Amino acid sequence: MTAEHDISFAAMGSHVRLLIGEPGPGLPPAATAAAEAQSFVADFEATLSRFDRESELSALNRDRRERVPASPLLRRAVAAGLVAAEQSRGLVDPTLVGEIERAGYVASRAWMAPASLAAALAQAPARRPAGPHHEGRWRRWRVDEEAGEIVRPPGQRFDSGGSGKGLAADLLAMKLAGYRSFVVDCGGDIRVGGVEAEVRPRVVHVEHPLSGERLHAIRVSSGGVATSGLDRRIWRDACGRYAHHLLDPATGEPAWTGLIAATALAATALEAETLAKAALLGGPARGAELLCVNGGILVHDSGRVQLVGSLAGRPRVRLPQPDTTLEAAA
Amino acid sequence: MTTTTTVVTAAAMTMTEAKGKPKRPSAAPVFLGSLALFCVLFGLVAYRAGSGFSAEATAVSQPAPQRKLVIRRVVTTVVPGSGPEPAAASSAPVEAAAAPVESAPVEPAPVVTSSS
Repeated sequence: MTAEHDISFAAMGSHVRLLIGEPGPGLPPAATAAAEAQSFVADFEATLSRFDRESELSALNRDRRERVPASPLLRRAVAAGLVAAEQSRGLVDPTLVGEIERAGYVASRAWMAPASLAAALAQAPARRPAGPHHEGRWRRWRVDEEAGEIVRPPGQRFDSGGSGKGLAADLLAMKLAGYRSFVVDCGGDIRVGGVEAEVRPRVVHVEHPLSGERLHAIRVSSGGVATSGLDRRIWRDACGRYAHHLLDPATGEPAWTGLIAATALAATALEAETLAKAALLGGPARGAELLCVNGGILVHDSGRVQLVGSLAGRPRVRLPQPDTTLEAAA
Repeated sequence: MTTTTTVVTAAAMTMTEAKGKPKRPSAAPVFLGSLALFCVLFGLVAYRAGSGFSAEATAVSQPAPQRKLVIRRVVTTVVPGSGPEPAAASSAPVEAAAAPVESAPVEPAPVVTSSS
């Protein structure tokens, strides 16, 4: 791997890291691209933060109209959240704002020390898989690209937290597509690309949510890797009960499914993030089903690590399909 | 073909009669067989050439099969036996930093995915 520009900064309640290799013909140097990417992330956060009253997302959530004019970025974020909900069959539900606030996640917990996951697991209720919300409120949201508006029942609110980092990683990956190699890491939602990674795959380490040790290493030549877990955003509410940010849409309460983390591989970071969240919320059985297609890792309450799909040593053989003219290297 | 069969039969008879009398077989059957085969093949080629067949013409008249670009992307492979690497354990990007922090590009810290 040739020398890369390596930059880290705090954003979106997490850390963002960019690794950018040599530019392709006509592209600015990696340092310039990194500065532009950092500026983009700042705009992204300013537009889509649920915790910032001045953000466009907060304005949308306050707006009492059914149709609300929205910027292209907000429309894209809402569309990404709806895609995540659709793909996860409602497990990754972006409309649970009231529920997450009732659970105690009103302001950013970015730099607050998390509660003990082990202690939380000891007191957690009986484990059961999460399910979709009985109304499926997200189904009533729509993005009208022609009118440049977001359409939804007045009063319903949107949270980009379930898909924002993956979307940001993918949008940055599009900007960096001409560089020989790049990694975009938005708080653990990672996108890898560039021709060099195709030749020499990038090693991505997976961290154990209980011990913090690296439990596995994955070689990624192209695509997304994301981890969803309970260990970072976990707290005790006013009653002393443990709560975390991954809600069971069916109950509106924090989900205790028997899994404490899930890592997913997919073509994009958004897809990987959606898969990881859906797998964790779906519980051990459903989670393994969801991850077996592209491969992934489940970490059970006991700390046991379960490799799934191609990572379990049974690589899926993909034969070239006769009419698979893939997106022409789009 | 009839000629060939006859020749072979004749050769067999000759060999049967020759039992007990050590005598070299005649070269005539081989020569006649080869000549007959040559004539048959020559006639066939001459006929096809006369009817206008040529490989080049066929290739031009038929549309070339459309080549499809098949891009196979192997997303992941497993690093066997991989586990914690003590030497690099503290190099994950976990420190809070208000301002961008650049590090040496030669040996970048490993990329780590953890709960987002």
